[in-house]
Order: sequence, then structure tokens, then C-alpha cells
Amino acid sequence: MFGEQQRFVLLLIAPAALLMLLFQVVPIVIGANASFRDWALYNPKKTWIGFDHYAAVITDPAFLYVVLPNTFLFMVLSVAGALVTGLALALLLNRPFRGQKLVQTILLVPLMVAPVVAAIMIRWIFNDQFGIANVVLEAIGLEGQPWLVQRWSAFCIILLTDIWLWTPWFTLLLLAGLQSLPKEPFEAAAIDGTTTWRVFRYLTLPMLRPVIVVCVVIRAIDAFRTFDIVWTLTGGGPGRSTELFSLYAYVLAFLNLDLGRGSAAAIVGGLIILVLGVVMYRLVDRIAKA
Amino acid sequence: MQGLARWFVAATAALVAVTGGAAAQVKELRIGYQPSPIQDASIAMFEAWGAKNGVKIVKVPNSYGVYVEKMTASLTSNSDQYDVIWHNDDWGQTWAHLLEPTDDVEANKFGSKWSMSPIVFANAQGQNTVVPMGQTFSVFFYRSDLVKPEEVPKTLEELVTMSKKLQADGKVKFGYVGGMSMNHSWFSWFWSMWANNCDVLLPAYERDNKKLAEAGWKSGLTDPCMQKTVEYWWDAINTHKISPRGMPAYDRNEANAIFMAGDAAFTVADTLWWGTFNDPNKSKIAGKVAAARFPLGPDRKKPFGWDDIWGWAIPKSIPEERKKLAKQMLNAMMLDEEGQTKMFKATGAPPPNTTFWPKIAEQDPFMKLLKEAVLDSPDKVRGAYYFPQWPAVHKAFNDAVTKAVTGKREDIAKVLAENAPLVSKAAQ
Amino acid sequence: MPMVTRPAFLPGLPNWSRKTFFALALAAICFAFAFPVLWLILTSLRPESGVYYVHRGTEFTLGNFKEVLGQERIVEAFINSAVISTLATVFSLLVTVSSGYMLSRFTGPAARMWFGTIYVFRCVPYISWVLPLYFVVQSWGIYDTYVGLLLPHIAVHICFFSWLMKGFFDGIDPSMEYAAMIDGCSRWGAFIRVAIPSALPAISALAVLCWLFTWNEFLFALILTGNRVPVITVVMAQFVTEMGLHWNLMAATAVMALLPAFLIALFGQKYVIRGLRI
Repeated sequence: MFGEQQRFVLLLIAPAALLMLLFQVVPIVIGANASFRDWALYNPKKTWIGFDHYAAVITDPAFLYVVLPNTFLFMVLSVAGALVTGLALALLLNRPFRGQKLVQTILLVPLMVAPVVAAIMIRWIFNDQFGIANVVLEAIGLEGQPWLVQRWSAFCIILLTDIWLWTPWFTLLLLAGLQSLPKEPFEAAAIDGTTTWRVFRYLTLPMLRPVIVVCVVIRAIDAFRTFDIVWTLTGGGPGRSTELFSLYAYVLAFLNLDLGRGSAAAIVGGLIILVLGVVMYRLVDRIAKA
Repeated sequence: MQGLARWFVAATAALVAVTGGAAAQVKELRIGYQPSPIQDASIAMFEAWGAKNGVKIVKVPNSYGVYVEKMTASLTSNSDQYDVIWHNDDWGQTWAHLLEPTDDVEANKFGSKWSMSPIVFANAQGQNTVVPMGQTFSVFFYRSDLVKPEEVPKTLEELVTMSKKLQADGKVKFGYVGGMSMNHSWFSWFWSMWANNCDVLLPAYERDNKKLAEAGWKSGLTDPCMQKTVEYWWDAINTHKISPRGMPAYDRNEANAIFMAGDAAFTVADTLWWGTFNDPNKSKIAGKVAAARFPLGPDRKKPFGWDDIWGWAIPKSIPEERKKLAKQMLNAMMLDEEGQTKMFKATGAPPPNTTFWPKIAEQDPFMKLLKEAVLDSPDKVRGAYYFPQWPAVHKAFNDAVTKAVTGKREDIAKVLAENAPLVSKAAQ
Repeated sequence: MPMVTRPAFLPGLPNWSRKTFFALALAAICFAFAFPVLWLILTSLRPESGVYYVHRGTEFTLGNFKEVLGQERIVEAFINSAVISTLATVFSLLVTVSSGYMLSRFTGPAARMWFGTIYVFRCVPYISWVLPLYFVVQSWGIYDTYVGLLLPHIAVHICFFSWLMKGFFDGIDPSMEYAAMIDGCSRWGAFIRVAIPSALPAISALAVLCWLFTWNEFLFALILTGNRVPVITVVMAQFVTEMGLHWNLMAATAVMALLPAFLIALFGQKYVIRGLRI
């Protein structure tokens, strides 16, 4: 019934498709089904209630005016921050210097530690009493700050932690990209005496475009659903002011044990990032081309 | 596709059977719990009973972070993973319909009547669903090397003056430190609120869901006493500086770390911390800690105690004969005087059998204090609410007071009023 | 490689000061990146009474490590984590190398649909499906088993790795495979004997990353395992209790867990940089 080629194509994706079906599609369908029902974890009545949960989520002022803006802001700043840092470090590591290998290994440290433990460590580092950050500030005569009780300082700590965690990833991908670029155009530019900035702007950046686009889109999707470090660092506080989208869904499903509402919130977020991802792909691609 | 899925399930089942599913057919009971000194001590009693009666006790520790979620899912899917599980007053009503009634555990009659109240643990038919493990509640701890017993603050105001005096004398960096962030509200917000006739929902101290519903799940946030409570902490942090500025974000680990480092004179923590505070390997203030009643606010004159239990429960879905065996074991645990005395010594948590209390109190001054100040006190407060939406209400409450205390002082009343409807809404 | 005179870094400054500046900047960057982990290592060496105020006091001890290593569960967890990370890496790569190859070499509705599916499922937040996944794994009787943790881990990598694999194969000229097919190789022969060997650098790069991700993965392990299959992140999580956090033991375990990850990253980075070209 299938031609030889179709059989080949289907067999190539069959194992992946089967695993995805069993461990992603099935649970997601269960979750999606729950989002239309009165389905509390402790009392799964499972009565059909249509779009009630969705209506509750998208009319919730906290979701619209706190959670979504926080999430978008976080996504943009985190991706931009990790991209810029990662690119700078990749350019740095692409130059030969003594100790290059050592520096490269140190920059990979964030990849080696479990993010949850790193987040606890960073939370203690920024504790206003025993945290080393304030100890150092006070030692040099500055006033220590209660970092985690002020909205924007708490937000910045989450952001810095995320950038710290993901920069190595960007560095690796971009460094690999840099090293695979053809040598000739750079040699020609060097002979012409082109400035460093112009080489970067008109040679390196355009040639890295495909890598950057993939990095940014994949990372943006992940940044949108960042959960564990925020939960550990601030729990969304003080007073919900640093709450991100996955925390919103988590609190509903795990804390309030309302699987239906939690799933609905998660699906709303999933749809947003789905559309956003496509738009972003086009946009980033165009910016990089220009 | 279904054929494939079935094949897959069969294949994995075979694999599981080979890798470790080959459970021997011995008499055994599986205990789902969360490692902690009090649960370990209770399970030690199970094991003693098991050794005598030829029953193997299988300990299945769970991670704290997702204990309630996973256990709830396991209870509703009628799996028989566990025969006995850790139970807590906070989720007493969330699980009541999924648990085996325990009225026929005879030794339950020795449990604390207050703690095992039907409001907390009874199912819709009014049957009790818990067997107590131990009493868990907090008390007010102070540094006995800095403060004489007669100087211990009796009011919230005295807490400020005493703290300021100690700070001015250079004895200590801060007066009071205690957890304040979500799920740690008890260690600052709740006790100080109860000390001033204030509560999360109105009427204050009411825990009967029917009466709360009649009152329309009215939030306590707009009560004037709540404004006083938030202003008290705002002043403590910003005006009097008796508490660290970061405190609204503290969990109990951070607060206890500061207390144990000797940087604060007062704190509120579970009695179970008694042992840790006094362990020189863990704490810099070992031997310099004592406990007392909570200081009171201007609106309350009578002292109060806060008293809850942890317990054990049996899932409804397990086979009859294992239920019977589990009940025998729990009954034996309730009657194990030696084990319960050991438990108190190891943890500082009063054991579940009330008839053992007087004897322990004779030998141990800490127990004597707990007995007088809390266990025998006629004025008791329950630490949580007993309806499934309680975690949502708690979070809405904590978010509101955190927002108020970290904002401007003049905005406190406004922030509380804005958030009051959210608390009521979360309860319904 | 012909030596190219690079445009000067910070032109106008004398050579030695440029070098010093460069070295200082490098040191600062490295310090900033390594600091949380250095601090974690220092923490793990402090006795329990000094584990929060790390900067206060000078007592250091190996007691935390001793206590942790004395727990059988932790040793077991290290072995389990290593086995699961390795198996998850092998199987993830096996299923995604073919899926990525398909995405790269074929166009048409099947490939578009598969790419669309991968993209959509990449966007669904974990939070929405870990709880249902728990139901699923439990109802199939594989909760708290190797298989029950391994298969979801493989599944979760499919989207991301297929996407990257596609990029790798896009960069490899398919004409070699066509030539092999003209020489009488079957499609499978061309894929296995020609395409896979030329993608080996990329595959080894992903292997390193996959291993590190799985080693440090937390949420799935927390939900999908109980007592029988302790893995290292879950054992760490169990130092968080209702009665507080045993931070000294958690830090010591985390530092020990760092070691295998460090070795993998140390020896693997060469392959990652060589292979991660998309």
C-alpha cells in the first residue's frame, strides 16, 4: 500500500512518533480533556463544563496584567541577555590565547549543576542577612539590600540566574558556528584593514544568522515556560509581583490541586507561545537578514 | 495504534517483572511517608511491632515538594501502593472521602480530643479517618542567656521594647526573626494575627465550614485588627528595625538559620526545632534557648495555644485484610509507651497518647511547659482551615499581606481592602 | 592555518596594558560564572552550624560528605542516575537521528506534518503534562521503574533533538548518499553507512548535552520515581523536609553530583564545539 520511499520515511520517524504518542501526546490529551471538566485532583468529578476554566483564566486580572507582562518581559530580557553574553563569550573564545581551554571549561560550569540546587544557592547568596552579596556590599561601605522583597531587584535576580544558566548553551552553539565559518572572507577583510566592528557587523553576524535564529526561537520557547528557578528563588513573590506563566499554572494544578483549571492555564500559555514562536522565527530571520 | 500500545504495555510489564517486580509473598505493610525525626520515630514503633508479629514494614519515603500531589493522585486512582500514609490536618478534609474510617482503632480514644475533632478529620458520614502520630505546633522561642523568664515579652509592644533594648545594648543584631513567605505564614503572620483576635476568615478562630459559608467566606483582611497586624510588622521592619528588611521573603530555613547563628533574640518555630536549636553541632546558641507563650496584641487579653497533629491514615482502596493489619499496627503504636517517650526525647513533639503526657512532663521541663501553655490550655487555635480550597486561600492571604507589608505604610489599608475579595473568592 | 593579523583589541593602548586588561576581564568573567558553584563547594565543607553563614567562622569539615556517602540510597542513586543518563542518551540519539534525517532529506506533507507536530509539542509547558504523565505511567504499571523514567526522558528530548539533528543533516551534502544508492546501496544502507558516519561529530555533541540534561533533570524524576529507583536529583530533593532543609547534606550531594558532570563536560566540550554546527 505504501511505496518503498513512504515506508522508509515512516520507519524513520516511527520510534520517535511512538514514544511521543505514549509519553507526550497521551498525557497532553488527558490534560486537555481535564481542562474542559470539573476535575479536582482530590475529587475528579469529571463533569463537562465547556470553556469555563478558559474563561476564568483569560479574564483573571492577575493573569492578564501581572503574569503575562512579567512572562513576556522575562522572555525578551532573558533571551537577549543570554544571546549577547553568549555571543561575546563565543567571540572571545574564538581568539587563541593562553588558558583558552581553561576559560572555556569554567564558562561551562552552569551546565554541570542541577538548576534547582543552583537556584537555592543563589537565593541564599542574596539573603539580606547571611548572603555573601550583602556582606561584600557592606564591607565596601555600601548599604545591603533586601533583594528578594523588592519587585525589580527580585526580578533581576531571577533574570540573572536564568542568563547565567543558559549562556553556556548559547556560547557553545555560537562558538561551534564561528569555527565552522569559512576563513577566506575574514582573511580578505584583514588584508583590507577593515575594523573589528565592521567585520563583526557585516561578516560574522550575517554568517551566524541561521544559528542565532534557531537558538533564539528554541530558547524563547523555553524561557516562556521557565519554572523551577523562579519557584525556588521567589515563589512568584513578593506578593505575586514576579509571577511567571508556569508558576500561575503550577499553583492552580499543584497547590490548589485543580487539575482542570491548571491544565486550561497551561494550554492558554502553550497556544500563546506557539503563535509567538512562528512570528518570532519570521521576525528574527528578517532582522538577521537585514 | 491500539495494538501497538498494547504490545508496548505488555513488553514493559514483562521488563518490570524481570527487573524488580518479583515481590515475595510475605506479610508486609507499606508506609508512605516523608523522612523527618517525628515520622522516623513513629515508624520505629511500627517496626518494633512488626518484628514481634512477623510483619515486614516497608518504608517508602516521598519527596516533600510533591507529597500531597502525588499521594492525592495515588488515592484517587485506587492504586494500592501504600497501606499506611502520613496524614496532616492541613489536608484532612481534602482526603477524608478517600480514607478508611479509623473509629474501630480502639486506642484512638487516648488521642487528643481537640486535635482529632470531626471538623478536621471526619468524612461526610462523620467517621474519623486518622490515627494521631504526634502533636505539631509552634511556640515562642527566646534566648535564655539574654532574657530572664520574667522579662519575656507578654505583649507585641513589649516584644518591640525588649528587642530595641537588647539591640541598643549590642547583645544581638535583631529582636525577632521568623518565616513570612508563602507556606511559612505561621511563623510570623498567623501567630501575631491570632494574638490580636484576628484571622484569615471571619468570624475569627471559626473552623466549621458551615458557619464560614454562612458568613460568606468573609475575609479577615478588612478587619481593623488585620491592618494593625500588618502595620505592626511594617514598623518592626522599617521603623523599629527589630526585624531584618528581607524578612517578608523568608522561609523557615532562613529565619531559623539567623536565630541559630545568634543574630536574633526571639523567633517562633515548631516545637520539633527544640532539639535542633539545642544541638551544638547545628546551632551556635545550644543551651541558650527557652520557650514561652506567644506575646499578645492590644485586642486580646487571654493567652492562647495553637495545637494540631500529624497523623497516619489508611487508603480506602486497599484490600480488607491489609486494612485490618494496618489498624492493628496503629493501635499498637498508640499504646507503645516506651516508643512514644523516646519520640518526645528525640523530637520535642508531644506523643499521640494523652495518658502518657503527665509522666513525661514530670521528667521533662520542656514538656511541662508545652503541657501547661498549649496542650492543657482551654484557649486553643487551629493552625489551618479544613476545606480543599485552603491552600488557595492561604496563598491569596499571604500574597495580600506580603504586598501590603512591602509597600508604603499609608497604603496598607488600601492594599488589604483590594485583596479581600480575592481571599473570599479563593475559598469558594 | 595561515596566520592572519587580527585587528587589534582596544587599539591605542600599549601592548602590556592591553594584555593585563584582557587577563583581568577574563578572570572577572570566569569568577562570575563559577562563583555560585564555588560558593556551593565552600558551603558543602562547612559544619551544619555554619552552613548558612558561610563567610563567618573558619571551621571546615568533610563530615557532610562522610554522612552522605554513608547513606546507601545515595550511592544507589548515583548508580541509577548514571545508568539512566547513559541509556537515555543512547536511545534519544537513536530515535532522533533517524527522525532528524527524515526532516532534512524529505519534503512534502509527511515531513511538514512531522515538523509541525514536533514544534507544537515543544511549546506545551511541562507543567500541564507531568501530572497526567504520572497517571499514565502509573496505569501502565511502570511507575517508579527504570523504564518508567527512561521512556519519558527519551520522549521529552525528541522535539528538541530532532530539530537540531535536522540542522546537522542540512549541513551535510546529500550527494554522497545518492552516489551510494546508485552504487547499489539501499536507502537504509545509505542512511546507516553514509549519512550517520558523516553526522558523528554532531551526534557526539548532542550526546554530551543530553547526558548533562538528564543527569540534572529534576521535575520528571520527582514525579515519576518513588522509592525503588532513587536518582540523584530526587535524593537531593528529599533533604527538603517539612521540618526544614538539610542544606549541608544537600550541598555535599550536589557537589558530588557535580563531579561526573564536570568530567563529561571537560572531556566532551571538544566534541560539542566540533559537532554542534547547525
